Amino acid sequence: MILVRIPQKNKEIEVPGPRMVADILAAAGVRPTTVIVTQGKRLLTRDQRVEDGETIDILSVVSGG
Amino acid sequence: MKCKRCRKTEAAVELPSHNSAFCPDCFFLFFRRQVTEGIRKLSLLSPDDRVLVCVSGGKDSLVLWDILMELGYRTEGLHIDLGIDGYSSRSLEKVTAYAAARGKVPIVVDLHAEGIPIPEAAKRTHKEECSVCGTVKRYFFNRVAARSGFTVVATGHNLDDEAARLLGNLLHWDRDRLSRQSPLLPEGPKGLVRKIKPLWRVSEMETASYGFLKGIEYVTEECPLSLDATSLVYKEALSLIEEEMPGTRRRFYQGFLQQNLGVPAGTGAADVTDGKTPGNCIACGAPAYTETCGYCRLKERVTKARGR
Repeated sequence: MILVRIPQKNKEIEVPGPRMVADILAAAGVRPTTVIVTQGKRLLTRDQRVEDGETIDILSVVSGG
Repeated sequence: MKCKRCRKTEAAVELPSHNSAFCPDCFFLFFRRQVTEGIRKLSLLSPDDRVLVCVSGGKDSLVLWDILMELGYRTEGLHIDLGIDGYSSRSLEKVTAYAAARGKVPIVVDLHAEGIPIPEAAKRTHKEECSVCGTVKRYFFNRVAARSGFTVVATGHNLDDEAARLLGNLLHWDRDRLSRQSPLLPEGPKGLVRKIKPLWRVSEMETASYGFLKGIEYVTEECPLSLDATSLVYKEALSLIEEEMPGTRRRFYQGFLQQNLGVPAGTGAADVTDGKTPGNCIACGAPAYTETCGYCRLKERVTKARGR
C-alpha cells in the first residue's frame, strides 16, 4: 500500500500501489491545482509513479483571508 | 516527464497554465523571471527603494521576502502578531527563524500589546475577523513604513489571491474596489506609503513549489479565523475553471490589468485616493478620509465595549 498523508487535514489514507500521482489525487478527492505533492525533499508531478510501500505528502497551497 | 526547458532533468513542477514543466533549477529561473517581469511591467520598485516586506509566516510572504533579497533589493520584514492563540506564536516562530538564518531581525507589532488582538476586536465589535484583520494590518503596514523611512510596502498577494478578489468584486459590481485593484497603489499625500504586490504574476502553486524547493519553512496551517473566508469560495470556483481550461485565471486577471479596466488609463496604477484628498487622523495622525481613521474608530469601539 502507498501511505498518503494530508497533514493540514490531519488525515492519512492508504491506496494500493504502484500508482500515478494523478490517480492518487483522484482517490484522495483532491483537486490537482490546489496542492503540491512531495516525497521527502522531492516534488512530484502528476505523471510520476509511486511504488507500493512508499509514503507521499499532499500539501494544500490555498490560503484564505 | 522531462523539464521542457533544459530537456535533461526530470521535471519537478508541472505548469499546465504555461503549457510547461520545469526541473528545480529551471523553475527557479522561470519564477525569478515572472517576478522580475511583474516588477518591471508596472514599475513597482527601483533599486533605491527601502522595502518593508509584510511577512505573516505563510508561504507567499516568506517567498516574497526571499526573492526580493535574492534580486538585491533593500528589505526588512514586518510581522504583525495577530493575537490568535497558538497560530500566532507558531507564525512568529517561522518568521523569526527565517530572518535569523539570513542575519535579519523582523520588526514585530504585537496586537496584544497594542490592545487590539484580532479575535477580541472582532468579537467586541461584532465584525468579521478578516475585515477587522485587514483594517488593523493595513494601518500598521503604513504606520511602520512611514515612521521608519521605508519607501514602499510589499505584500505577498499572488495571482490566485488577485483573481479571486477580482471575481468577488465583479460579482458584486463593486466599482469602488475594482478601481483600486492593482498590484501598485502609488504613494499618496499625508503619509500614504506606496504599496505593491510583486507576486501578482505567480500562482499559489508556484509560490508553494518555490518555497518547498528552496527549503523555506513556512506555516502550512490555515489561519483558524479565515476558514469561512469568501475568498476561498472564489478560489475554489476559479480552480474548477482552471482545471478545465488551464491559463484562464492568468488571462482573467492580467486581461483586467492590460485593459486598464480598474486603473487610470496607461498608468497600471490604481488611484489610491479615489479622487479625494486625505487628511490626517485627529487621534493618531495617520492618513484618513474621515476625521478619525478606521483603525482609531475600531480601537475606540473595542475599548468602549471592554468597559461595559
